[in-house]
Amino acid sequence: MRNREIPKGLRDLLPDEMRTRRKLERKAVELFAACGYDEVLTPTFEFLEVVEAGGNIREKLFLFMDREGGILSLRPEMTVSIARLASTHLQDGMLPRRLFYSANVFRHVQPHLAQYREFWQTGIELLGAAGPRADAEVIGLAVKVMREFGLENFKVSLNHIGIFNSLLDVRDIEPKDRELVRRLATKKDLVGLTEALDRMPVDDLLKETIALLPTLHGGLEVLQKLSYLDENPSCARAAEELTATYNALKAMGVEEQVLIDMGILRGLDYYTGVVFEGFSPDLGYGLLGGGRYDRLLSQFGFPCPATGFALGLDRLTLVLKDREQEPTRYLVGGEDWAAMVAAAETMRNEGCVVNLDVEGLDRDQLQAKVADQPGWSLIYIDDLAQGGR
Amino acid sequence: MEDNRLTIALSKGTLLKPTVALLESAGLPADGVLSDSRAMIFDHPGEPPIRYIICRPTDVPAYVEHGAADLGIVGKDVIVEQGKDVFEMADLKYGYCRFVVAIPAGLEGINLRDLNYRRVATKFPRVAENFFRQQGLQAEVIELHGNIELAPLMGLSDVIVDLVSTGRTLKENNLLELVTIMDSTSRLIGNLVSFRTKYDVIQPLLEKIKALVKEQ
Repeated sequence: MRNREIPKGLRDLLPDEMRTRRKLERKAVELFAACGYDEVLTPTFEFLEVVEAGGNIREKLFLFMDREGGILSLRPEMTVSIARLASTHLQDGMLPRRLFYSANVFRHVQPHLAQYREFWQTGIELLGAAGPRADAEVIGLAVKVMREFGLENFKVSLNHIGIFNSLLDVRDIEPKDRELVRRLATKKDLVGLTEALDRMPVDDLLKETIALLPTLHGGLEVLQKLSYLDENPSCARAAEELTATYNALKAMGVEEQVLIDMGILRGLDYYTGVVFEGFSPDLGYGLLGGGRYDRLLSQFGFPCPATGFALGLDRLTLVLKDREQEPTRYLVGGEDWAAMVAAAETMRNEGCVVNLDVEGLDRDQLQAKVADQPGWSLIYIDDLAQGGR
Repeated sequence: MEDNRLTIALSKGTLLKPTVALLESAGLPADGVLSDSRAMIFDHPGEPPIRYIICRPTDVPAYVEHGAADLGIVGKDVIVEQGKDVFEMADLKYGYCRFVVAIPAGLEGINLRDLNYRRVATKFPRVAENFFRQQGLQAEVIELHGNIELAPLMGLSDVIVDLVSTGRTLKENNLLELVTIMDSTSRLIGNLVSFRTKYDVIQPLLEKIKALVKEQ
């Protein structure tokens, strides 16, 4: 019975989940729009060359051929496609430009709870603005949207990718070792990382600093633990940018929810500055992620700084779905179809959810139908004629 | 569910005893965990409250990846074979064993390249496949669930990939170690989100455990 199977890692979305998801999406979209973000949408699949402008994640892509011989990829995320869109269509407009999207994306991952091969992202991109205020606007919106969703205890962790990159960018570390260290740190294999560093001909203080990074977490004071900072100017510059962003966020009144975490490295290659992730104690996986990517748009001929983030709608729905209270549903029946329709319309105008009995059942049959359905209430049109419902 | 409770998944079996010893010297209450009772969950009230889950070693990474447990203690061998997305925090140094490729005594003198296109029996298909692929070799991996030594004796496979600690079982079955694929010891692993949300509990514990391991 193959005709009932669906491909691995995909799923059907049923009414309960869709209701929660649409509500979340609506709240996010309202907030983004109020801050001047305009919606865009790109094609579901792109040429592989476009997707790879964001870095090489080929083993995670769903690839196929078109009949003209091009290699196509289902979009693994939206940022790269939006960078392409902006380079083609928005170069002449006023900057900064604020864009938002809500779309499904596709990655060939091992599926499990909260990780699917097709999943939904709602996010924003702020194009054409560098500096801590732009970063703070975007991160502040991430905090605000999580608050708006009614999440408690959530946190957004910040890092600056330049701290890690510039520490690795010293002459003693060979390129292949650099790749290894980056991979181990991204994988959070602290044991492997320490062992690998031990084998490298690198200054002890630098080794210690790199091995310490994944566990540095807290307020601004964690930057003080980076003793190597002073010896590496680009690392110090990155730390300054991070501090400036943190201070800008503090001025926005969101510092309660914001932390510094040197372990946030994000998986994607295109990040260049402040990066961040949001999570809640209710789920073992991140809920949102983003950061600054100042060199991506120039890949498409539009040199322009940019930053943004995406919310994982599937994961947010997992965390928030049980909090929804379902509205009462009314079932309107009766013999007089015109009266039923009129009554239903009146109630709908008052904001009720009203189903019409289209089967022509009598009162007893309708009562039997709703008897064991929680949240349903029957209105038989004779009742109304007698003056009540 | 208590918000600040720390849940730790422990591996049933030989690792349990040294693990409990380590936890106790790190100052965590762990009495009862070693009792012969068949309980799988042990709660210790306190600040913070601690819950231990005792499960099969191969299941520990899954509990931790999903956040059903905040921390776990399990062998590197299991972590590599399971391939889960967890934070590998510290090498605890005990529970030493290693993955090896072993050959029947009759094949003595061959080298790794001669194993191309051979059949390999193993309980660890991921480790075996990755190893041969990285060597540029192709091997047909046959997954079995126990007594791997039997496979070459019965002609099911040419060689085996197995986990050994002393190597005695190999010898008893007339098998020779050809190469070591990797060494393994037990590790402290953590959920990526828990590490952040329960940082104030986990980070000091991690430092204490690292210091204890270093002293030994």
